[in-house]
Amino acid sequence: MPTSGSSSAAAVWAILRKECVSEWRTRYGLNAALLFAVTSLAGVSFAVGRLSDRVDVLAALLWVVLLFASLASLSHAFVREVEGHTLTMLRLVASPTAIALGKLLFNIVFLAVIEIVTVPLFVVLMGAPAIGGGFVLLLALGSVALACAATLVGAVIAQTRGRGALFAGVSLPLLLPVLAAAVSGTRAQWMGGSIAPDAKLLGAYAALLFAASLLLYDHLWED
Amino acid sequence: MTGLEATNLAHRYGARVGLEPVSFSFGAPTAIAVTGANGSGKSTLLRIMAGLLRPSAGACRLTVAGRAASREEHRASVGFASPDLAFYDELTVAENLTFAANARGDRDAATSVRAALDRVGLGSRANDRVAALSSGMKQRLRLAFALMHAPGVLLLDEPSSHLDDDGRAALARIVADERQKRIVVIATNDETEGRLADQRIELRGRGLGHSA
Repeated sequence: MPTSGSSSAAAVWAILRKECVSEWRTRYGLNAALLFAVTSLAGVSFAVGRLSDRVDVLAALLWVVLLFASLASLSHAFVREVEGHTLTMLRLVASPTAIALGKLLFNIVFLAVIEIVTVPLFVVLMGAPAIGGGFVLLLALGSVALACAATLVGAVIAQTRGRGALFAGVSLPLLLPVLAAAVSGTRAQWMGGSIAPDAKLLGAYAALLFAASLLLYDHLWED
Repeated sequence: MTGLEATNLAHRYGARVGLEPVSFSFGAPTAIAVTGANGSGKSTLLRIMAGLLRPSAGACRLTVAGRAASREEHRASVGFASPDLAFYDELTVAENLTFAANARGDRDAATSVRAALDRVGLGSRANDRVAALSSGMKQRLRLAFALMHAPGVLLLDEPSSHLDDDGRAALARIVADERQKRIVVIATNDETEGRLADQRIELRGRGLGHSA
C-alpha cells in the first residue's frame, strides 16, 4: 500500500492530468477565455490604437484582461464537479486537500496558457514595452496569487446556493490586493523603476493564501 | 481483519430525520442487507459508512487489523457504488477508472482497471466515452469502480438498478465471491438483492413525508 504522502502526491498529479484532459476535450474555459482576451484587446486597439506612451494605462489594461479572461473558468473548477455530480467520485479517491491542490495546479497551468497567447498579442496590439525577466516574475507571482484566491473561493462556494453572487462578493476582497500589486509592479517595471516591493507583496500574499487554503481544505465538503 | 461498527448512529437534514438511531457491529467476511421504506435512511447510512457524510449523532467506526482506520485508510478501505455516483462524460470508461486508480496510488492501474472491467462484463467498452454508455452500462461501471481497489468494505446502494439479466447474474457472482473475503453492505428493497446477504439491518425510519 502506498504511504499517505506518496498517495497524496499521486492524487494531486492524477487530478491535474484529469483536469488537463477534460479541459482539452471540452474546452469549457479555454475557448471562452481566449475569445474574451483576443476580442477585448482587438476592440481596445481599434478604438485607441497603440498606447506606448501610457504604460500606466497599459499595466492596468493587461491585468484586467487577464483577470476577466481567466476568472470564469478558475471559479468553476469545483462548480463543474458539483453540477456534474462527480464530486462524490473525487472524494472517494482523494483527500479534499489533494483535490484542491490538483485544481490549483491546473488553474496555474490554465493561466499560463492564457498568458502565453494574450501577452504577446498585448505587446503587439497595444505597443507595450518589451517583456523582460522582471515582468515574467511579476506575471508568475500574480498568476499564482490569482489562482490561489480563485481556487480557495471556488472550493468554499461550490456547494452553496447562489454561488455566482457569492463568488463575486467573497472574491472581491481577496482579488483586489493581487490586482493592485500586479498593476503597480508592472507599471514600475515598464517605467524603469523597482518591482521588488510589489513582487514581495505578491509572493507573500500568494504564500498566505496557500497556507490558509491548506488549513481549510480538509474541512470542506463534510456535509 | 476489517470491522465496521456503529453506536447510536443518526442523521438529520435540517429539521428532517435522515436516519433514526442505529447500532451494529460486523467483522469480515460477511454480507449485510440494509432494508427499509423509502426515506428510512438506507442511502444516508451508506454515505456515512463511506465517509462522505458526517453523522449528526453517534459514531461509525471502521477498524483495520483491530485499530480504528485513519481518514486515508478509511478512504482506501471503502468501495462505494450508488445511483448518484457519476463519472466524467468526456473521458472513456478506462480513463475514468485509471484516473481513480492513479489517484489512489495504484502502481499497476492498467491491470486493476482491466480486471475490474472484465469482472462486470464491460471490458469490450473500455474505450467508449462515458457519455455514450447506457444506464445499465453506467451501473456496471459503478460496480467496477467500487471493486477495483479490492476494498475491505464494499458498499452497494441499489446495485442491480438498471441492470439486465446478465448484469444481475454478474452482480450475484460478484457478491457471492466478495462476501467470502470482505464486508459487503447492500442497501436495497429488492428481495433478490436482499437474499445475496446473510445478515440484515432493518431501518425503521419515518419514511416519506415526516419531519422531526
